[in-house]
Amino acid sequence: MFFHIVLERNMQLHPRHFGRDLREKLVSKLMKDVEGTCSGRHGFVVAITGIENVGKGLIRDGTGFVTFPVKYQCVVFRPFKGEILEAVVTMVNKMGFFAEAGPVQIFVSNHVSFRLLKFHLLLIPDDMEFQSGDMPNYTTSDGSVKIQKDSEVRLKIIGTRVDATEIFCIGTIKDDFLGVISDPGTTS
Amino acid sequence: MSVADDSPVNSSSSDDFASFLDTELDSTSDTSPEPEEEANETYHSDGNRTKRQKIEVLESVTDANDSTPQHETTKTLEASMKDICTHPGVIGGMCIKCGEKMDNQSGVAFGYIHKDLRLANDEIVRLRDRDLKNLFNQKKLCLVLDLDHTLLNSTRFMDVTQEEGYLMNQSDPMQDVLRGTLFKLDSMRMLTKLRPFVHTFLKEASKLFEMYIYTMGERAYALEMATLLDPGKIYFDSRVIAQSDCTQRHQKGLDVVLGQESAVLILDDTEAVWVKHKGNLILMERYHFFASSCKQFGYRCKSLSELKNDESEDDGALATVLQVLKRIHSMFFDPVLGTVRSEILKGCKIVFSRVFPTKFQAENHHLWKMAERLGATCATEVDPSVTHVISTDIGTEKSRWAVDQKKFLVEPRWLEAANYLWQRQPEELFPVNEIKNNR
Repeated sequence: MFFHIVLERNMQLHPRHFGRDLREKLVSKLMKDVEGTCSGRHGFVVAITGIENVGKGLIRDGTGFVTFPVKYQCVVFRPFKGEILEAVVTMVNKMGFFAEAGPVQIFVSNHVSFRLLKFHLLLIPDDMEFQSGDMPNYTTSDGSVKIQKDSEVRLKIIGTRVDATEIFCIGTIKDDFLGVISDPGTTS
Repeated sequence: MSVADDSPVNSSSSDDFASFLDTELDSTSDTSPEPEEEANETYHSDGNRTKRQKIEVLESVTDANDSTPQHETTKTLEASMKDICTHPGVIGGMCIKCGEKMDNQSGVAFGYIHKDLRLANDEIVRLRDRDLKNLFNQKKLCLVLDLDHTLLNSTRFMDVTQEEGYLMNQSDPMQDVLRGTLFKLDSMRMLTKLRPFVHTFLKEASKLFEMYIYTMGERAYALEMATLLDPGKIYFDSRVIAQSDCTQRHQKGLDVVLGQESAVLILDDTEAVWVKHKGNLILMERYHFFASSCKQFGYRCKSLSELKNDESEDDGALATVLQVLKRIHSMFFDPVLGTVRSEILKGCKIVFSRVFPTKFQAENHHLWKMAERLGATCATEVDPSVTHVISTDIGTEKSRWAVDQKKFLVEPRWLEAANYLWQRQPEELFPVNEIKNNR
């Protein structure tokens, strides 16, 4: 899920940046430091959308660096248990497949045999077999639905683990309206 | 109905919605409902009942008398999902099946598939069983390949001797000969020489086997070598096992290979590391290209690199072992059929005359192959041991020789008949037609 929230960060700035464009320097450094990072509490910081306010700088003893408390608005992305996500398959193996939704990696096990549902179609047989070879994939017996690398799937998160630097999820596609939504060949 | 029993009604929001709908529908029940609404009603009230049912089940498991079969299925489905998950494996601290947090470090680590993946023994057995069926459907076996001294030879820059200096020199004339097989990996400060024939070997073997790399080297090295051998990532995919994946020190084990042991072949140059799986091992002659490698194993002779020589491409160790692998493969998948078929024309020696187009490679013709499959031996020239001449024309030299020597002279259909009828056919029924002679 995406959230638009206000976060705070103490930015240290070298004295050589002090001048008319101090604020711009501060913002560009903030973007470089923060965007794309992951915090266990808030998830991935996708983009900074604005600066709320820059507090009074505090000179650090001995170094000359100045610390500014910066409040900024940003869009964060954090997956939750039970959430439905659309993801791109990155690897298919005997045990299931790995997919990515932006920075989040998700594993879907084949242990509960896949039931594949093409979007808007209900009840496609759930006999999915793993086909190895140069393009490993899962295919239904009638060959109508196939999961392979670069397929797009809609899945439900059933477990998340949030570390300091990454978020990893377990997902499932065994539910109504989940499954393959587009094949790698088709451009949508 | 099928919609109802397949949708797990467990989220509270849909339940609220269901009860809301129920009351709404109750209030309007005196008006005749439209078919669509009716469907909705059954769906949701059904779901509601399922929910109630579930609570009852939780309270007393024995009280399930009034449950209809479809409730039963919903119940078992939910139960298998939530209550009695066997936790077949753990990835990143979560069960791969139900997503529950798991702390214990049991099971076998499969670091080469994903860094935090551990699988329980039952799951490994299940995956292997499933995999075996799958492989047999494709008529494939598993092949575990070692890297060093089997498929290639590597040396560090610092170990390159003076006589090998030409290998480091990009402008040396020998570089042209070695192009595509000799790689200088600056990032690892290593020189790697692929064994001659290795590309053909991998291409051919990939048709018959699902291949793994299993090396005692480090992971980074193994992956680097895998990209050299398989730039397109079609042979090995993610099946590269390195030292860190081994479950025992200084031992290689098939426990981290997701293949049934009975269907695994191992190609390695060191017997000692495969103590538990000697039966699966095909021992390879070591490939020493670099001087450092010879020294490591105590050979005092000059290395191949110093002699500016190499193993033969066509009958080197890899070419030989490929033949062995092909034989094993065909014996594995075709043991009964193969032997029965090869009895049909046992003892026949066949020469073909005017059957193949000129300049056609006789060994590749389908009739030649068919004759061999049926157990006959084939030759290109006549000699006293020949029993049959297959010809389309009575006038050829070989045909006349057959008549002179009282050998069987038959037309190609004789072979085809034997192939279809699974029996050697009376030769008199397939004489070579004389009319053809007159044309």
